Amino acid sequence: MTDLSERQQLSYIAGQAADARLNVELETEGMTLNIGPQHPATHGTLRIIVRLDGEQVVWAEPSCGYMHRGYEKLTEVRTYPQVTTLVNRIDWLGSFANEVPFILAAEKLMEIEAPPRAQWIRTILFELSRIANISLFLGDLGVQLGAVTPAFFAFRDREHVLNLIESVTGGRFHPNFDRIGGLKDDLPKGFVDETRRVMRKMRTYCDEIDDLLIGNEIFQARTRGVGIIPKDVALQYGLSGANLRASGVDWDLRRDQVVPMAWDDVDFKVWTHPDGDSFARCWVRLQETREATKIVDQLLDGLPAGPVMAKVPRIIKVPAGEAWVSTENPLGEMGYYVVSKGDLGPFRVKIRSASFNNISVAPWVLRGVYVPDVITILASLYFILGDIDR
Amino acid sequence: MGLVDRGRMPGAIEKLMNLGRSYSMWVYQWGLACCAIEMGAAFASPRYDVMRLGVIPLPASPRQADLVVVSGTVTDKMAPAVLRLYDQMPEPKYVISMGSCANCGGPYWDSYSVTKGVDQLIPVDIYVPGCPPRPEALLEGIVLLQQRIKHEDMAAKWRGETTEPLRREPIVVGGGNVA
Amino acid sequence: MTDTTEAEPQALPGDGLREGLVDELRRRLGEALVATELRPNDDLWVRIDTASWREAGEALAAMGFEYFCYLSAIDWMPSPYGRGEDDPTEPPPERTTEVVQGVTGGATRFQLLARVTDTRRHVGITLKSDVPDDDPTMPSWSAVYAGANWHERETHEMFGIGFAGHPDLRNMYLPTEFEGYPLRKDFPLLARMVKPWPGIVDVEPMPADEAVPTESPDVEHAETDSTAVAAAAAAEPDTSEPGDAST
Repeated sequence: MTDLSERQQLSYIAGQAADARLNVELETEGMTLNIGPQHPATHGTLRIIVRLDGEQVVWAEPSCGYMHRGYEKLTEVRTYPQVTTLVNRIDWLGSFANEVPFILAAEKLMEIEAPPRAQWIRTILFELSRIANISLFLGDLGVQLGAVTPAFFAFRDREHVLNLIESVTGGRFHPNFDRIGGLKDDLPKGFVDETRRVMRKMRTYCDEIDDLLIGNEIFQARTRGVGIIPKDVALQYGLSGANLRASGVDWDLRRDQVVPMAWDDVDFKVWTHPDGDSFARCWVRLQETREATKIVDQLLDGLPAGPVMAKVPRIIKVPAGEAWVSTENPLGEMGYYVVSKGDLGPFRVKIRSASFNNISVAPWVLRGVYVPDVITILASLYFILGDIDR
Repeated sequence: MGLVDRGRMPGAIEKLMNLGRSYSMWVYQWGLACCAIEMGAAFASPRYDVMRLGVIPLPASPRQADLVVVSGTVTDKMAPAVLRLYDQMPEPKYVISMGSCANCGGPYWDSYSVTKGVDQLIPVDIYVPGCPPRPEALLEGIVLLQQRIKHEDMAAKWRGETTEPLRREPIVVGGGNVA
Repeated sequence: MTDTTEAEPQALPGDGLREGLVDELRRRLGEALVATELRPNDDLWVRIDTASWREAGEALAAMGFEYFCYLSAIDWMPSPYGRGEDDPTEPPPERTTEVVQGVTGGATRFQLLARVTDTRRHVGITLKSDVPDDDPTMPSWSAVYAGANWHERETHEMFGIGFAGHPDLRNMYLPTEFEGYPLRKDFPLLARMVKPWPGIVDVEPMPADEAVPTESPDVEHAETDSTAVAAAAAAEPDTSEPGDAST
């Protein structure tokens, strides 16, 4: 492996050189390539316009908005319980995780806290949605590199996790299960044993992906040293989650902030990787999935008894005030800035979604790379369109 | 098929051809939003496995597809692209609208940027309600479409008479009417 | 960006840490730090003078707040359409038009809202700044935090706030020909204007129970606390005026 900064410099120089060549009219004429908005290799409807010199990208610009559904405006005309239904659908692979920070923000304003059992179940479901989310990412990663098999593995094993979520919430992936003050319901009978079994299965799946994909020579050749994002750039663009940790920043909101969830009570490792390239991002995600299965196992061991719902008024009015709560969602930091005026619904909700920041680095990181790498870099940044456009 | 050209078709041959058509559909997947993942589960996962119904997902281009599943929210910005991709598909073509967003706007019925239903852009044959519908619901939609294709009058279609009641009246999975 | 001596990592976030941050900011910005609000062990808000918005960003970046979280704005004017639940056949009700700002106060209708975080000390700051009413233009942060580029584009598109020094304020989400600024409170949601909000209609009877008079969902589900809240989330008629069931 070449040194990180050296590689970064090289790609920078390559980008500059490509730019210069375009200006000098001796070279071939540049070409503008449009990828998307409907393209099987993008997770949804992202459109990317790249300017090419030969095979090399001199300029790239993601064009968002094909999935802009106006969440922030719609929250202003919804009541608090209705907002949960909406925000479920932002990051549609990890739906339950989207509800949690909003509910926590509303609870913070109301100065109530969910009972311990509810907090634990919330954390379990949160981690289950992380596993469901990232396991699909790992499978999809192969498809983007031309290996179709991992996707079938992913869809096969993800079903087990979805079954678990469905057994608790009744929804495969838009649970709408979180309530202000707790949860709608308790865990069903047999959930604990079944979850343990599935967690073992998911660890096997991670091993399979490790063998099949991450350890694959072709995969490594195509991702190592490609799309390097150094630490300071990652921070400046507000990259979060695995993308930030893959650039060597040891920061995980589960560990590094105090929220009324059960992460403080379990033991887990925050994985980081110093390289900051596409491989590091994929590798960190794989490790995180493993870690999440262990978190779930630990939470099942210590599940406290008691009610799952605090005393809350029949009709929820949130006192006037402002609160910011963010959590470490599968894609990164997801936060809500909730402004209340004491009404039935929020006055303003700023939704800080992880993918918007994560993909905003694309124009920077895509400069100077080759066309096939565009797809792998975007895949490794891992975005979900609902999470970019909101 | 000179017979078809002249607008006549013996019943037995028509039956045979319709049977063949209904069990060899190439479906173009139009993953737009959340429903795309359920569609992916229906098409790519071993648990639901759409191919056992004789439907082949993942053609290289809409020009090779017989059926399109519009799954997810169609926004006003996306609408021209949806229309263009539909125009690229060869006749006969069928459309399944999957999920509440594609049916009518769904939870975004009052949004400023969402098209309230893909049927404003392209004719829809099957509506699959749900937010998102389960993969089974999509499979049922496909089965219902195959049943409809089996009863189609190919000759009339060839003559350009698209007024057959079966073709025009959309089906809603799980019952109900299109308002 | 490099470490400065002021940004020495501390063991635990606490009051002392946030108070120290306020002092540090005051030392760097002086009069430009208009107001602060500190909730011990929770969060910190500061309001920056409009002209010093960019300097505040630079100061924070130098203090170790390298992680750019988000930038957006708030329109403090109450919506003239309320929550969009009026019956279009009735004359609109009287609504207050008084602009009341939130935490750390303010004087203008629009306020910028941003958050930056120090990932080593695990502390974040929410910044606010008044946007002039007559000329809604603010200094751009895109040279301070590269990530602010897209957020400012989004804010420009949604609120119509300009950013001086931003390289490219094209629309991010909406088609170029889109008119209006959706997140301004006086932007109407037309779908809510042309037909009555479904919530003012009482719950429709199920097809089979057409003959049975409609029961209020409160009675059906309010057995325990938790299910009552579930019902509140599932059915919303109690949040609005009971309307005409035939509409």
